[in-house]
Amino acid sequence: MAKSVTLKDLWAEFDFKPNKNQEEAILQVDGPLFLTAGPGSGKTKVLLWRTLNLIVFHGVEPERIFLSTFTEKAAHQLREGLKTLLSVVTNRTRQPFDLAKMSVGTVHSICQRILSDRRFSPDSKRPRTPRLFDELEQYFYLYKPSNWNRILEASGFADQEACNHMVNLTIGREDKGSRHVAVTNAITFFNRLSEECVDPIEAKKKTRDPDIRRLLDMYRCYSRDLSMEKPFGAVDFSLLQQKALDILNQNHAAEHVYEHVIVDEYQDTNTVQELLFFKLARGNRNICIVGDDDQALYRFRGATVENLVEFEQRCKTYLGVKPKRIGLDTNYRSRQLIVKHYTDFINRCNWRREDGKGYHRVHDKKIRAHSSDGKPSVVASTPGPPEDVFSEIVGLVKKIIRQKKVADPNQIAFLFPSLKGNAKAKGFKEALEGAGLKVYAPRAGRFLELDEAEAIFGLFMLVFGKPKSEGPFSQDLMKYHQWMKDCTDFADGIAAKDKQLKGFIADKRRELELVRKDYEVIKAFVKRDRWSDEMPFTSDMRRRLAEAPGLSFRAKKALNSKYLQMVIEQRMKEKDPFKLKYIVNRATSLDWSVLDLFYQLNAFKYFRDFYDAAEVDKDEGPLCNLGIITGYLARFMDQFVPIITASYLDDEKLQKQFFLSYIYALYRREESEFEDQDDPFPKGRIPFLTIHQAKGLEFPVVVLGNPRKRNWEASETEKIARALTGRGGEPIERIGEFDNMRMFYVALSRPKNLLVIPHFRGTGQVTSPPLKQMLDEGDMLRIPEFDLRTLPEADHDSEDLGKNYSYTSDYLLYKKCPRQYMIFRKYGFVPSRSQTMFFGSLVHETIEDLHHLFIENRGKS
Amino acid sequence: MTEEEILKEIEEAFNLNYERLRLEGGHALTEDIKRLALQMVIRYWKKMPDVAEKVTDTEVKISLPEQRSPKRRKFSIEGIVDILKEEDETWMYDIKTHDGKYVEKHLRDYEKQLNVYSHIWKGLRGEELDHTAVVALSLPPQLRDALRTGDEKRIESETAKWNPLIEIPFDQKHVDETIKEFGQVVDRIEDNVFSPPTLATLKEKIGGEQFGTRICLNCDARFSCRSYRKFALGSSSPTISAFKKYIEDLGPEADVEGWTTDNLEHSEIPEAVDIEA
Repeated sequence: MAKSVTLKDLWAEFDFKPNKNQEEAILQVDGPLFLTAGPGSGKTKVLLWRTLNLIVFHGVEPERIFLSTFTEKAAHQLREGLKTLLSVVTNRTRQPFDLAKMSVGTVHSICQRILSDRRFSPDSKRPRTPRLFDELEQYFYLYKPSNWNRILEASGFADQEACNHMVNLTIGREDKGSRHVAVTNAITFFNRLSEECVDPIEAKKKTRDPDIRRLLDMYRCYSRDLSMEKPFGAVDFSLLQQKALDILNQNHAAEHVYEHVIVDEYQDTNTVQELLFFKLARGNRNICIVGDDDQALYRFRGATVENLVEFEQRCKTYLGVKPKRIGLDTNYRSRQLIVKHYTDFINRCNWRREDGKGYHRVHDKKIRAHSSDGKPSVVASTPGPPEDVFSEIVGLVKKIIRQKKVADPNQIAFLFPSLKGNAKAKGFKEALEGAGLKVYAPRAGRFLELDEAEAIFGLFMLVFGKPKSEGPFSQDLMKYHQWMKDCTDFADGIAAKDKQLKGFIADKRRELELVRKDYEVIKAFVKRDRWSDEMPFTSDMRRRLAEAPGLSFRAKKALNSKYLQMVIEQRMKEKDPFKLKYIVNRATSLDWSVLDLFYQLNAFKYFRDFYDAAEVDKDEGPLCNLGIITGYLARFMDQFVPIITASYLDDEKLQKQFFLSYIYALYRREESEFEDQDDPFPKGRIPFLTIHQAKGLEFPVVVLGNPRKRNWEASETEKIARALTGRGGEPIERIGEFDNMRMFYVALSRPKNLLVIPHFRGTGQVTSPPLKQMLDEGDMLRIPEFDLRTLPEADHDSEDLGKNYSYTSDYLLYKKCPRQYMIFRKYGFVPSRSQTMFFGSLVHETIEDLHHLFIENRGKS
Repeated sequence: MTEEEILKEIEEAFNLNYERLRLEGGHALTEDIKRLALQMVIRYWKKMPDVAEKVTDTEVKISLPEQRSPKRRKFSIEGIVDILKEEDETWMYDIKTHDGKYVEKHLRDYEKQLNVYSHIWKGLRGEELDHTAVVALSLPPQLRDALRTGDEKRIESETAKWNPLIEIPFDQKHVDETIKEFGQVVDRIEDNVFSPPTLATLKEKIGGEQFGTRICLNCDARFSCRSYRKFALGSSSPTISAFKKYIEDLGPEADVEGWTTDNLEHSEIPEAVDIEA
C-alpha cells in the first residue's frame, strides 16, 4: 500500500481536475458499475485513473484485472498511460508495479491469453493454443477448393455451383454462382453463428427451412474441420471467443481469476462477449462497463447494442445485483453549438419502444458542453447542386489552412458513411486537388489502384510476366484484367524514363529464364536415369547431377556447395535423406524473394523520390502505402510459398498464385489497409475517412462529406440469427434507421471547433431526413455569412501524459540510423532479411519465459 | 529439470510467443530468422547459465517519466532490464539482440544508457546496485556457421570463444546530459527529421568493418538510401556491372545460402494452382 502519496496528489501533479461524476466513477470500486460516456467526456482518463486507483490504493494485483478495449491501439495507449502514472508512484513510494501480466487488450487478444493461461487450464499445464486465423486467412482457408468442397458436400449438394447459388441467395439475397461471393457470405454467416453461440445440431431442430438447415451443416463441418487443423487446431476470431468461453465454463475457478472486469466500448460487444464478461465477473461481481449506445456502429459485425441499453436488467439476471449508473455527460472536446447540434439530431428519431415501456436508447443522458464558447461552430453550405457545394466548401477549407486555423491540413477531416465509389467523395477530392490540396483517402478506392501499388505490381508483372488466363471472364475478372493492364502500362512508363531500371528488369527476366532452362535440363537428366521425385537423395547422385550436360554455372554452384554436400551427408547419416524433389528445387531456386524484389525496385528513382520527401517531412502518403505493400508481400510468403523455384515458375504457377489468386482476392475483397498503430494520417494531406474509421477520434475541423445513407433492410444473417436464437432486439424493420442515426451522431460529434455540412439540392440529391430537417429549418448559418475570425486556432495535439520512448528501440535506433527508424519503426515496413522489432521482442519474451522457469523452479525447491 | 526438458520448455514458449507476435505485428518471420531467434535464446542459456538460471527479477520495466524536450514536448524514457540479486551484490543486465561489435564501438551510448537506468533504479527507487552490464546476444558468424553444420564439437568450441558480456563501468554521472540529448532526439522524431547518416559515417570502422558494410548491408532499405548508394557505388554514374553488383548483393554468401535452405525446407510448392474464372 502506498504511504506517501494520495490520489489527489497525483491529480495535482498531472493537472487533472475531474468533475463530480468522473471523480465518483474513479472512486467507485465495489460492485457492478455502468458508465454511460458521451462524446469527448474523458472516459479514457476515467478508466486510466480508476485502474490506477484499484492497483495503487486498493492493492489489486494487475494480473487480476481484465480490461478490454475496442482496438489494440486503445489498449496500447491505456497501458502506456498507466505505466507512466505508475512509475511516478514507484519513484515516490519505491513500490514497483509490473503490468506485464495484466490482461489489457481487445477481447480477442485477451481470449488468446485465456487459452494459453495456466490459471484457466484444468490441469494447470501450459495449454496447447490453437492457431488463430485473421480475416484474410479465414477467407483463404475457405476459398481453397479442397476445404470449400468438403464444406459444400456437408450441405448435401452434389453440384458446387448450385450450392454456391444457394449460399448467395439465402445469405446475400443475390443469385450468383461465384465461389468468392459464396465464401464471403458464408464467413458473415458462420461468424455470426459463432458469436451467438449457436449449436448447429440444436439449431437444426428449430428450423424447417431446408437451405438454413444446409447452412447449419456447413457451419458444423467448418468449425469441426478447423478444430482438426494441425498441430493444435485453428480458430477464427469468432470461434476464438467461443473457445475461450468453453474453457471458462469447464473450470469453476475461472470465475475468481479476475477481481475486476472492465469493458470499454460496450455498445459494440456481441453475445458471446457478454457471456464471457459475466462469466468472468461472477466470482467477484466487479464488472465495470463503459460505452455510449448512441455511438454503436458495429451491428454488421454481430454487435448488439442491447447489451448496453439493457445492461441494468442483464446485470440483475446474471449477477443478481443492479449496477450503479454514473453518466459521464460533459463534453470537453467540442464547442457549445456543436454539442447542441448533435444532441438535437439524435432526438429527432422516435426511440420509444413499441409497447410504450421505455426506450431503445439510454434516453435520459444529460449531454452538455464544457466549453463556454457559444460562437458559431456549425455551418452549412449554400443549398445548391454538388459542383457549387464542393467549390464553396473547398474555398472555406483553403481559407482555414491559409489563415492557419489548423496547424496542418491533416487536422481537417472529411467523413463519409462509405467511401468506395462514392460520387461525393470523388467530387470533393477533385475539387480539393484542383485547388492544390492533397488528400489521403486509403478507403476511397481500392488500395491496389493507388499509384504506388500499381507501380510495384506493374513492375512485378514486367519481371515475372503477366499470367495468361483464358475467358470467358466474369465481370470481376474482366475488371481485374484491366487493372493488370493499367499496372503494366504504368510500369512501362516508369521504366521508359529509367535506363537502369530497364536493365534491372531485363537481368531479372534472364535469371528467371536461366533457372527455367536448368529445370528442363535436370528433368531430362532425371528422366534418362529413371530417378523419381520422391527417391532418397545420395551424395553420389549429387555428383552425377552436377555434371548434367547443359547445366548453368549457377545451378552447378548450388549443387557443389560445400554446405549442401555436408547437409546431404548429415541427412543420410540420420537416415532422413532429402528427396530428389528437394534437391532439384535447391538447384533451381532463386536466392531472392518477392520482398527482396520490392526493396530492390525501391532503388530506382520513381520510388527513391518518395523516401527523400518523407525524410524531410514533406509527404508521408507514398511511404505509408509502400509500407502496406510490404505487409501484403510478407503475407503472401507466409501463406503460400516463400521461395521462388523453377518448379514454382513452371506452368506459370507462381504468376497464377500471386496475381490470379492472391492479389486478385485482395482486389475483389477491396482490401484497403491495416489498422495503423500510431499516426494514421500523414502530414500535409486532408484525410478522407469513413465514419467507422473516425470512431474515437477527434479533429479541429470536420466536413460531413455525404449527409446521406439509405436505411437498409436488415440482413438475412440478422433475421436467421434471430430466428435460431429466439433472441429479440430492436424491431427488425427499424434497424436501418437506428443504425444510421447512430452513425451520423458519431460523425457530428467528432469536431472540436467547426462542423461543416454540405447542403446538396437538385435532381437526384437526397439528404437523410433528420439532417435535411435541420438544414431546412432556417436558423442554420451558411458559409458566406460565416466569420472565419471567430474560429479559434487548433492547438497542437495535446498529449497530456506525453509519449513513452524506449531507450533501445527509439533513441538508440534513431541514433544509429534515423532513416531506418523511419522506415521500419514509424511506417512499419516488413523487413525481408534484417531483424527488427518482431525479432527482438520474440527473443526477449522467450528469455523472460526462461528466467521465469528458473525462478519458479527455485521457488519449488 | 533435465536439459531436454528445459529445451522443450524454451521451444514451447518460443512458439507461443511467436504466434502471438505474428498476429500482433501482422506478419511472419521467415524460417531462417525464426531459427536464429530460437538459437539466440538457447545459446544465451548455454553460454551464461550463471545469469540465466539466477536472475531474480526478469524484464523489469523501468521508466523516467515527466521529462520535457527542448521544444517542450512531454515524454518519458523507458527501458527493460534484468536484475540478479545475490547476498553480496546486485547486477543489472541489459540484454540486447544486436551486434556486440557495434556495442563496443558505441560504448559511450551504452554507458549513458545504463547510467540512466541506474539513476532510475538506485537514485529514484532506492534499490541496491553494484554492477551493470550489456549482454549482446547477436551470434558471431563463426558460431552461426557451426550451428548450421550441427557439429556439436564445433558449436561448443565456438560458444566458448564467444563473449556476449560487456561490463559497463557503473556510474551515475552525465545523466542530465543524456536526458537532454534524448529530448533532442524526441523532437527530431516528432518533427519528422529522418535523413540517413552521412557518407563519412558509413565509412567509419566498426570491429574491422565499415558501418556501411556491417550495418547497412543488414538493412533492407539500403537500396533506396542516398548515403548507402554513395558508399557502395562511389560515383553517381556507375558502370552497368558495378550497379548490377550493388543491387544484387543480398548479403554475405553464407547467410544467403542459409536463407534459401531454411526457407525451402518449409516450402510446399503446389502441384497446380486453382483459379476462379
